[in-house]
Amino acid sequence: MVDNDTVLKAEAIYKSFGALEVLKGVDITARKQDVISILGASGSGKSTLLRCLNFLEPPTSGKVYLHGKEISMGKGGKPDQKQIEHLRSHLGMVFQQFNLWSHRTVLENVMEGPVIVKGESKAVARQRAEVLLDRVGLAERKSMYPSQLSGGQQQRVAIARALAMEPDAILFDEPTSALDPELVAEVLKTMKSLAEEGRTMIVVTHEMSFARDVSTHVIFMHEGKILEQGTPAEMFSNPRTEPFQRFIADVS
Amino acid sequence: MDPLYIITNYGPRFLDGLLMTLQLTGLGALMAGLLSPFLALARTSAPVAAQWPLRLYISFIRGTPLLVQLFLVYYGSGQFRPLLQDWGLWNFFRDPFNCALFTFVVNSTAYQTEILRGGLMGVDNREIEAARAVGMSRFRILQRVSFPHAYRIAWPALGNEVILLMKASALASVVTVFDLMGRTRQVFSRTFDFSSYLWAALIYLFITVVFVFLWRQAELYMTRHIRAGNTVTQGKQHHG
Repeated sequence: MVDNDTVLKAEAIYKSFGALEVLKGVDITARKQDVISILGASGSGKSTLLRCLNFLEPPTSGKVYLHGKEISMGKGGKPDQKQIEHLRSHLGMVFQQFNLWSHRTVLENVMEGPVIVKGESKAVARQRAEVLLDRVGLAERKSMYPSQLSGGQQQRVAIARALAMEPDAILFDEPTSALDPELVAEVLKTMKSLAEEGRTMIVVTHEMSFARDVSTHVIFMHEGKILEQGTPAEMFSNPRTEPFQRFIADVS
Repeated sequence: MDPLYIITNYGPRFLDGLLMTLQLTGLGALMAGLLSPFLALARTSAPVAAQWPLRLYISFIRGTPLLVQLFLVYYGSGQFRPLLQDWGLWNFFRDPFNCALFTFVVNSTAYQTEILRGGLMGVDNREIEAARAVGMSRFRILQRVSFPHAYRIAWPALGNEVILLMKASALASVVTVFDLMGRTRQVFSRTFDFSSYLWAALIYLFITVVFVFLWRQAELYMTRHIRAGNTVTQGKQHHG
């Protein structure tokens, strides 16, 4: 059953790399305005889960739905490339290492998706890109190349790049893990402002403050499965399973 | 020896040969440049089993002298004339210029393919992933991310290949093409003046210098995003 508010839904996601089974049947549903934090120790499969949602890693089995419409498997169980591209164009993604296109300016990075994938005119794309760069506080840097920016600035450009596609949901893969400690705050602040304006976000993170204070929903993964989930209030005040208790003790 | 006499009397001949050399090298490098991206892509992405004809071809080209390859085409086409006539290709191969051009294209394509393959393998996978994540098609990823980076990485080596080809094009004179070398030999056989070859050397050198300058300008343009980053750190001392 899918209600109208469900943006993204994944069912029974399994993923193996060779003999190693990384995801063992994971379900996840993101409704409009949900901010879901995915927590877990390294190796728990949280990043793999995120990458399965937009098929950067195609799941070994399982189903993904965008607005209730299944990304159908073609012949031989391989998903249809066009459908995957469509799904991706509706899901923004922000990477741990920013992954900006180094040969394009800040402005060009933000314009690229709308112009190349959506076929927007450059004038329209440029206008929106400038608004978005202003919003992440980098309007003056629009003509620079990524190599001229700090990590925190690069990540904010990456967020603007994701927003430029006007996505239905944004996936964040440990967006602050590669940053120097003093640069983490500026990125978290930007992410918080997105949450406040009602963006649907799925965030793999180690930032407990973000999970606790910003997200609407927390998922704890352990050994390829979701071990616990709920609102941050109930999760953090009353961790039920031993691994999650240990995890909280370790990170705090 | 009278260099001045040579150039004043045979200048137009040298010019004629220079144009032929430029034509032969330019066309050869350009046509190889049009073929190599496809083959380089096959070298990096095609299934290994499907690659063996390509690897065989590249090994053959790299493992045999260009002069041998030229003779194979030039004398071979004579040998197989009836067959080529049946296929309607004789008109092409009867002209030594075309034989030389064909050989150079086949030769340079192999080298350029290998150079470009190295470039493609040097592209940062994270940028490709970002392009996938935004919903780009495979073609768009190649066009917008992979090849721009691959050509930037491969650029100096590609320039080197063009220079080598330009100098190697002198071999065409052996099969009666009147390129710069062919014209020079002609002048020498009439005058027995050694300075004919001196002029040839200077003209080849001149072409190379001009080419290197132009190629370098293109390289500077292609690496502007990297140099931009360097200027930020300029003035900072490097420690350790």
